[in-house]
Amino acid sequence: MSMLLELKNVSIPTEDQKCVIVNNISFGVKEKSIHAVIGPNGSGKSTLAYTIMGLETYKISQGQILFDGKDISDMNITERAKLGITLAWQEPARIDGLSVLKYISLGMKDKSNLVEEVSETLRIVNLEPERYLNRKIDESLSGGERKRIELAATIAMKPRLIILDEPSAGLDFIVIEDFMNVFGKIKKLDMTVLLITHREDVGMVADYGTLLWRGDHILTDEFPRVMLRYCAKAGLREFCKRTLRKDGEACFDEDYIDRIFREESLS
Amino acid sequence: MSNTEYPEDILQSLEDYNIDIQDFIPGHGKGAKLLLNFNKISGIEQVEGIILQGKEIPNGIIADVIIKEGTKHEEPIHLCFGVNKESGIQEIFPRIIAEDNTDVKIQAHCSFPNADGLIHKMFGHFYVGNNCNFEYSETHYHGEKSGALVAPVGYMYIGENSVFINNFNLTKGTPGQIKILIDIYAMKNSVIKSNIRAFGKSKRDSIRIRDSVFLEGERARSIIKMKAAARDGGEVLMYGVTEGNAPYTNGHVECSEIVLGQGSICRARPFIRATDPTSSVSHEASLGRFPQKWLDELQAKGLTEEEATDILIQAMLDEE
Repeated sequence: MSMLLELKNVSIPTEDQKCVIVNNISFGVKEKSIHAVIGPNGSGKSTLAYTIMGLETYKISQGQILFDGKDISDMNITERAKLGITLAWQEPARIDGLSVLKYISLGMKDKSNLVEEVSETLRIVNLEPERYLNRKIDESLSGGERKRIELAATIAMKPRLIILDEPSAGLDFIVIEDFMNVFGKIKKLDMTVLLITHREDVGMVADYGTLLWRGDHILTDEFPRVMLRYCAKAGLREFCKRTLRKDGEACFDEDYIDRIFREESLS
Repeated sequence: MSNTEYPEDILQSLEDYNIDIQDFIPGHGKGAKLLLNFNKISGIEQVEGIILQGKEIPNGIIADVIIKEGTKHEEPIHLCFGVNKESGIQEIFPRIIAEDNTDVKIQAHCSFPNADGLIHKMFGHFYVGNNCNFEYSETHYHGEKSGALVAPVGYMYIGENSVFINNFNLTKGTPGQIKILIDIYAMKNSVIKSNIRAFGKSKRDSIRIRDSVFLEGERARSIIKMKAAARDGGEVLMYGVTEGNAPYTNGHVECSEIVLGQGSICRARPFIRATDPTSSVSHEASLGRFPQKWLDELQAKGLTEEEATDILIQAMLDEE
């Protein structure tokens, strides 16, 4: 798989340019993969997401952002969206006067089969079209419903890269489990997902991961290895043994886990 | 009952407001209707319990709409005040009476698709009796030229235990010069909901609306919601008035306005007054632009900032 997104020596300062939030990081995201960016609160994950999307107040002070080999560092948010990058927001806005149908269709290029296409994207995020198509994007929607509609709106664009900013934030565990199934469906659509999360269970759907720590890039690798390093940096040995499992099997043997923790304590 | 041929461009302009034009052409649809083509009455259709009468005068008409006691209709009464000329004067003097225990809706369509200096004036009196559900919606379209000079004045008396919903919508096309005065007098236990929406799109547009509710009867309640946007030199002044003049009355005025582009002006003036110590009247007003995050969210879907702003303005004006 080739790299769809590459960050080369990227630094992101605060808006007043006085501090650096993300410091000289480089990593790539493979096309058609799910790639998680993890790290504790304040490590620069959301800042990175908004910078890749091209928000006005998130500018790089050095480095390059490449999308499909093209330097997009100077492009604005609309130009990047037209290239096929989009973002599902952590807390999407509620715009009372817009129907779900209208909202999801905003980014669709071909609107000839509108209702059917929007209905299909609603099904992907496990919402029944007949219940939601004509509802308004207002306070009557729960946080989980609003996030699914946001995800549906991004899927309807048929983008090449979806950035998901903390999709599990504020959701209960039943909803999170359901969201994990949705990720599986997105993967089948051949879209690339950059998943911003601080939860190891959500990250386990990812093929690859990148660990950010206080604005520094620590590691990019297969996701379980990244998660192991995260646990080692945080000193969470028992948590690591309990949670780093796929299909019921431990991802690493205990000796390997101990070695990584030792290495981390020495560093 | 009479049939009519009505100017096609007026009918087409109504479709922009999602109005099924078949509903109010005489001989079609189920509701009562009165159609005015400039200053000529071109069609009247009555239904059981509803009397519609009109008399032509030099620059317009005098019209009576009387809803007989106990009449309940789901189909709205359509009043279409259309003009397809560019200029001229249209004056309407309607008297609308809903007798006790009635439940009806009136949809008034003021469509001037070619307006370029047209003058439309209305001096209306509304009497809504006791125990009524009455909804009056007025939708305006003034074309894409310089718009019209529109100056309606409405006095509305709402009887005991009645619910009155007033909707005014001027959000498509070029408005022109708009001066609207509405006074609503609310009697005991009545409920008033007044929704005003307007959009001034250029420096040719000046919109001034005063919507007043006087809570005169015990436990009368009201809410005025005024929403407006002004862009590219447009000017909007919204003046929402509520007075609590009887025991335990409760009123609220809400003005939200968005101002975009050089030279645009939005002004919101909520005016509230309570003359009874047990009444409660409140207001809130906001002026400004949309939150940047909202624009970012729409732009991340491939919309330009201008397209995103247009979507948000329309959403704000369409909000229920």
